[in-house]
Amino acid sequence: MLLVATTVAACGDGQDDGAKVSAPKAPATIPELTKDPLTLSFIWFDWPPAHALEAFANAEYKKERPNATIKVNTVPNANWHDAMFTQFAARKTDFDIAILDSQHIGEAVTNGNILDLTDFVKSNIDVNAYNPYLLAAYGQFPQAETGKRDENASLYGLPLLGDTWTMIYRKDLIGDKPPQTWDEMISVAGKCQAENPGVSGLAFHQANGSDAAAVTYNTVNGVYGGNLWDPKTRKIQGVLNDAAGHEAMDVLVNKMKPLTAKGSGNWFIDEVNAAVAQGKACIAFNWIAASGGLLDPKQSTLGTTREQILDKLGFATLPSQKTNLVPLGGMGMHVSAYSSTANQAEALNFMKWFERADIQKKWAAAGGVPARTDALESPEFLNAGPFNQVYADSVPRMRDMWNVPEYARLVDIENTNVNAALNGAKKPKDALDDIAKEQQSVLDSSGRKGGGGL
Amino acid sequence: MSDPVPLTTDDPGQVASATPPAPGRSRRLGDRGLAVAFISPALLLLLAMSVFPLLWALYLSFTDYSATRGGPANFVGFGNYTAILTSAQVHARALTTLVYVVGAVSLQTGLGFTIAYLISRRTHGRGALTTLFLVPMMLSPVVVGLFWRFMLDAQFGVINSMLGSVGLGQVEWLTRQRTALVSLIVVDTWQWTPFIMLIALAGLTAVPKYLYEAASIDRASEWFRFRTITLPLVWPLLLIAVLFRAIEAFRLFDLVYILTSGGPGVSTETLSFHVYKVAFLGFNTGTASAYGILMVLVVVVLTQLYLRYLNKLKEG
Repeated sequence: MLLVATTVAACGDGQDDGAKVSAPKAPATIPELTKDPLTLSFIWFDWPPAHALEAFANAEYKKERPNATIKVNTVPNANWHDAMFTQFAARKTDFDIAILDSQHIGEAVTNGNILDLTDFVKSNIDVNAYNPYLLAAYGQFPQAETGKRDENASLYGLPLLGDTWTMIYRKDLIGDKPPQTWDEMISVAGKCQAENPGVSGLAFHQANGSDAAAVTYNTVNGVYGGNLWDPKTRKIQGVLNDAAGHEAMDVLVNKMKPLTAKGSGNWFIDEVNAAVAQGKACIAFNWIAASGGLLDPKQSTLGTTREQILDKLGFATLPSQKTNLVPLGGMGMHVSAYSSTANQAEALNFMKWFERADIQKKWAAAGGVPARTDALESPEFLNAGPFNQVYADSVPRMRDMWNVPEYARLVDIENTNVNAALNGAKKPKDALDDIAKEQQSVLDSSGRKGGGGL
Repeated sequence: MSDPVPLTTDDPGQVASATPPAPGRSRRLGDRGLAVAFISPALLLLLAMSVFPLLWALYLSFTDYSATRGGPANFVGFGNYTAILTSAQVHARALTTLVYVVGAVSLQTGLGFTIAYLISRRTHGRGALTTLFLVPMMLSPVVVGLFWRFMLDAQFGVINSMLGSVGLGQVEWLTRQRTALVSLIVVDTWQWTPFIMLIALAGLTAVPKYLYEAASIDRASEWFRFRTITLPLVWPLLLIAVLFRAIEAFRLFDLVYILTSGGPGVSTETLSFHVYKVAFLGFNTGTASAYGILMVLVVVVLTQLYLRYLNKLKEG
């Protein structure tokens, strides 16, 4: 471990890059493209949309650029951040386009790891075609406040895949009408669990890897009127752990957790899907982009055809309570600053192609979740899956997390503490207070010399 | 005109001594040169892959350098070391690591020695049994982790299924504070008990048979033979095995990463896992380097003390 860390640091030769504190600019116009065979590499985590992207891009982009091959390199979700940023640290990447989570942008921009696409976007992309919040979330830094994209801010990425949570419910167990409020949902889940031995009331993300448990808490925090921080003052302490925050943690740990399956404290995307597919959950929450497999009869015990499964499964937007906020998921495409000139040019050309209205509709039909409003509202998207209407309805309700360079440490603190509370290793109140205290310490100590990072 | 050189001779050695090679003309390497030539590639590799990073880490440990942020590495003196040594988080991880090391190594030693002792008493099938017991050790820790993750799953795992079939309730092996660390110890024991067994078996088979023969002539009991012959002769070898296993257990990372991700919360987060987070989540390279150096120092100091004890034992 030590050797890896130090070798990366040594290879990084950071002392020579002292002056480079912001992202290098991409050209406004796409440079001349090569006619030689070229492989355009992406890096993403291993999930169905990654494989769908590779198949879609090779089928469609090749029609325009026959010499280009698209390769989507995948890593386990838990390694996703590390796999990208260790290569960034070495100032050499084996990918041309990094698919960054919206919260990773700050770290990549301040370290100069990705290209500034502002001029390129102005010349090549119709920014008005997008929901402003989605465009800002996947590309802008510093982060926009909810719903207000800063027209003058720089853009470092373009949307690849939009996403949010959908509520998955068993129509055959709780009825056709999904619960409308969070409290009602808990009540319905409790009743369903009591009436159906072997089936748990709820299934949701609780693991302490990636952003699993953190997003779960953030979602409940949002619907119960809490805030994650005050971005203007960079205050977390006293904001996250205010009365609304504590109520959200209490609901999560004391009302929702008892309705989950025993030992589900390390569940993430796959485990929740497995519980739904095996008929072991009345109501579940999962990312829309990861829900396609639920309709595959080969993976489900709910029916032998897609129609039979859909007779039992319903998909709805998240219930609201004091607010109607839903978590923002999805990712954007970002060009590696260390990619070769020819590949950077190809990457820009790909992004311009991918963001076209007709391609976005095709991407939606292929299983993608678009961010362009026209594609979102298109029949190609809305008819492609039973949860796509859920996404379209959820877009105006989205809330993201903090997009700051310290994101990776902030989310780790939240994950481990929420996971501890969910698994009885910490009292809910202590867990929330510890999150606020430790996260504030990370924000306050950023830039401090020595001893940081523990 | 020089003298003609004979083409053949009955005594080549004599000719060689009679006509020594002119200085500077020979391209043959001496023993020393040959040794240097053979060792150099390995030495250079060692320097590049181990010594240089270690020295580089030592330098970085006194700075605030971050591998991703770049920029100059500012000297911060012992700031990183002070922060680590006074951090409550590090103390908690150290305690977790200590419990794990002591628990796992003790269990492995006891089990490994017992299995080795039982195998050594067999005359038939000893080789086959030894090979069978060695299988877990041959597997990659990642494979072992994934394998046991499925086995220990509270909902779908084989272990809980077996417990259920005998009327016992489900156990949340990996998601409860008490059982998660125990699970790690059990899995590590499953994989590494064969290592102790192998070394103990080597020690047991090396005990001279005449000692047992003499003891049996004196009608010594089985326990007496074990206590006065077997154990004292195998003990030093066993202690070396314990040393290797303790060092390895101290560095535990893979099983934690796969099985629990340090959870629930941070209750199974070992020092190695924590330094990984410091190094790669926050990219606080300077702090992570100091952390790594401290871990190396702890291992070196404890090993030295242990080796001194071993030497005393040998002298005794």
